[in-house]
Amino acid sequence: MAITMTERAAEHVRSYIEKRGKGIGLRLAVRTTGCSGMAYVLEFADEVAANDAVFEQHDIKVVVDQKSLAYLDGTELDFAKEGLNEGFQFNNPNVKDECGCGESFNI
Amino acid sequence: MQVDFSNNYFELFELPVQYVVSQDHLDTRFRSLQRYLHPDKFASASDAERRWSMQAASFVNEAYQALSKPLSRASYLLSLHGISLDEETDTQMSPMFLMEQMELREALGDAPDAADPYAALDKISAQLNNGRRDSESAFTSAANNADWTEARTVVRQWQFLEKLNSEVQAQEARLDDAL
Amino acid sequence: MALLQISEPGQSQAPHQRRLAVGIDLGTTNSLVASVISGSASVLKDANDQWSIPSVVHYSDKHASVIGNAAQEKAADDPFNTIRSAKRLMGKGADDVRESWLAEHYQFNYDGGSIPAFKTAAGEKTAIDVSAAILSELRLTAEQTLGGDLVGAVITVPAYFDDAQRQATKDAAALSGIHVLRLLNEPTAAAVAYGLDSGTDGVVAIYDLGGGTFDISLLKMQRGVFEVLATAGNTALGGDDFDNAVADWIQAQAGVSQLPDQGARRQLLRLARSVKETLSSAMLAPYELKLNADITFKGELSVQQFNDIIEPMFKKTLAPCRQVIRDAGIAKTDVQAVVMVGGSTRVPLVRERVSQFFDQTVLTDIDPDQVVAIGAAIQADVLAGNKPDSELLLLDVIPLSLGLETMGGLVEKIIPRNTTIPIARAQEFTTYKDGQTAMALHVVQGERELVSDCRSLANFELRDIPARTAGACRIQVLFQVDADGLLMVSALEKESGVLASIDVKPSYGLSDGEIEQMLKASIEHASEDVRKRALAEQKVEGSRVIEAIGSALAADGDQHLTADERSDVDALIENLKQSLEQDSSDAIKQAIEKLEAGSSAFVERRMNASVKQLMAGQELEELERSLVSADDLSDS
Repeated sequence: MAITMTERAAEHVRSYIEKRGKGIGLRLAVRTTGCSGMAYVLEFADEVAANDAVFEQHDIKVVVDQKSLAYLDGTELDFAKEGLNEGFQFNNPNVKDECGCGESFNI
Repeated sequence: MQVDFSNNYFELFELPVQYVVSQDHLDTRFRSLQRYLHPDKFASASDAERRWSMQAASFVNEAYQALSKPLSRASYLLSLHGISLDEETDTQMSPMFLMEQMELREALGDAPDAADPYAALDKISAQLNNGRRDSESAFTSAANNADWTEARTVVRQWQFLEKLNSEVQAQEARLDDAL
Repeated sequence: MALLQISEPGQSQAPHQRRLAVGIDLGTTNSLVASVISGSASVLKDANDQWSIPSVVHYSDKHASVIGNAAQEKAADDPFNTIRSAKRLMGKGADDVRESWLAEHYQFNYDGGSIPAFKTAAGEKTAIDVSAAILSELRLTAEQTLGGDLVGAVITVPAYFDDAQRQATKDAAALSGIHVLRLLNEPTAAAVAYGLDSGTDGVVAIYDLGGGTFDISLLKMQRGVFEVLATAGNTALGGDDFDNAVADWIQAQAGVSQLPDQGARRQLLRLARSVKETLSSAMLAPYELKLNADITFKGELSVQQFNDIIEPMFKKTLAPCRQVIRDAGIAKTDVQAVVMVGGSTRVPLVRERVSQFFDQTVLTDIDPDQVVAIGAAIQADVLAGNKPDSELLLLDVIPLSLGLETMGGLVEKIIPRNTTIPIARAQEFTTYKDGQTAMALHVVQGERELVSDCRSLANFELRDIPARTAGACRIQVLFQVDADGLLMVSALEKESGVLASIDVKPSYGLSDGEIEQMLKASIEHASEDVRKRALAEQKVEGSRVIEAIGSALAADGDQHLTADERSDVDALIENLKQSLEQDSSDAIKQAIEKLEAGSSAFVERRMNASVKQLMAGQELEELERSLVSADDLSDS
């Protein structure tokens, strides 16, 4: 079980955490909502809970709770630019179909 | 829609109804009230809530201002005791007091032509500050004795001092502008 | 496919529910838009990779306009249709325009309406129209960058802006389809950008010297609350004056008494500006400009000479500095930090002398041209509800006293300057003639004693006063200034308790009717896309209102409402639900308004109930949890 992050994504996470002034890393999760069932959660992590899995890549810690991990296993977090819009993108091999917005998905 | 703030300013700020107040307490309570009531806390709320919050925050601002400034706090206390300040019938003031006032006013008029106008103004300010301090203690003891007639006389004299003080400041501003 | 941003722990929004908000610095020369992305505030770059656009609009024909750099390029070829510095005319009247340099550069219609309009190829355009065009461009940049529709914006205004200028700014935002979360004073925004709320408890000074205006504000900071203590300034003093003085000096050095034309003056000014900019980092600035066969400007200017030239102008900024210290009733030594804002604070002399005046090193870490937009973005993020645990609270003041015209053209002050807003003051008036049914009030803004020396804001006419004998009617007039610094007036006949109807005639602005007309016109001319979008926005708003009121009813509806009242509100909710099924944004808007009006008594009762608890000394935090605002409800 693993979650990876591109170097480009790691660089951006690092600079955001620096500007924020606190945080041990990034929390990835899924929750049930949205137009096609599940939605991604991307948050700053200030602490690690007892049953969280922690992955580290390019010196950035990625924290995932066990329940979410089942849906996120194998996911690569990337940072992309589309026109003026910049942001993070989940490349998740488990996804069958996505809502057009890319924020929610189905397995 | 009217805000149902039937409490008086002192109750709103959780203070006993008396002249002496803790500025720290006033400031802290003011901040916590505004943190809760200010329109910015209702930026995405309904029109009714936004209007309500604006009225409530206005009330708190008004109360804070009235209690923060010594003279307005004294006047407010008088009004709580049903005493009005602006009855035009009695113009009687102590002749001694009026004499002092006239002297200060003359000094203010002469100040711009003094060798050091700022020093001249500072001198007047210092005298006014003494007068305000005296007013504060006179008001406190009058209020403690529930002698509201005396308290009212003190406040009326105090108003003269504040008025003169704002004229001193205006004169200072004119000097600054000419720099 | 949308790209994701990092949220604060526990603050992830459901898909399509992210509340995108921006801060906008609508400047005289340049405008910027900024937003908080993944927790940090930054200025957004446009499609040309520029983080600011010139505040310039070029009108070519009926429906076409270009904005920003593209417009700037047209200035030389098509000067009358290329509008710049419109901000100077916001909230101004015909006389102000005639007195300003803009009167020489543009053609105006002075008599068309209550405010003067630029005559352009696309028809007559007021300063409000021009500002709306600039705001639309910034909104476009923001929506493309953030990947969604904006819920609103914090727009900054100079602290010194009067009521008419603020109202004009808000009207421009309405025309550009931007919901204003707050009009924020520029110096307050700058203090927020520096994050002075964390750690600093004390007084800070914000020294803002821009191209054309100067502002100084003192703010008291305590645990995240920014309280403006005093503000003062000079609306006709800035870097442009430095340029003019340097240009005069260069001209005098060359022994040229008369320049051939306006174009030559503009070339000379450009030269002066580059000399000034060079001297920000060099001790000596050589210059050369061949104007024509006869005139060549060639020489050099040293920092020392430059300082001597601008010294008299710099000195004029110190009087307002002393003024605010006096107004705030503090000592100079109480000032704990001094923030520099505005391009003209790059001039080393300005930094040195302001440091000297306040006896400390001034803060210049954030780009003085970006700092205001960044602060506005931080505030917008909080107001949009993305940072519920934020301690940030900004308490602004009214910069200029509000007064009423009395007998003999004198002003009676109602709300003195530097009063914390929002604020309300009531005044009682009586009729002075038998059978009098109307009454007029003239509201002005300014510090002087004569009406003619103050700024006229509006004439209010109270109508439908019951006809009685003279003095029998007592009318209470309420002057309410909101958190944006905008005045509203209402009047109540005390005996009957009837609200008098008020007719407002703004002296230098648009009436509500005129604004509505302009909005209607803009929607009629709008493309199908824009109309669809307006419908979508209205549907979201409708659902939000249903959810908010629904949850409040579920929580304590029966406690505050009788069965009859409850069923009335329920019917209005049902009515709104039905309107959401149809495709008319007007119908939805009306249904929302009906529901809001019909439920206002309920909202009032539960808010007042919560305040009673507040008075009873209940812990504030507890109360905040029990009184859920509509904003919180819509996210749940």
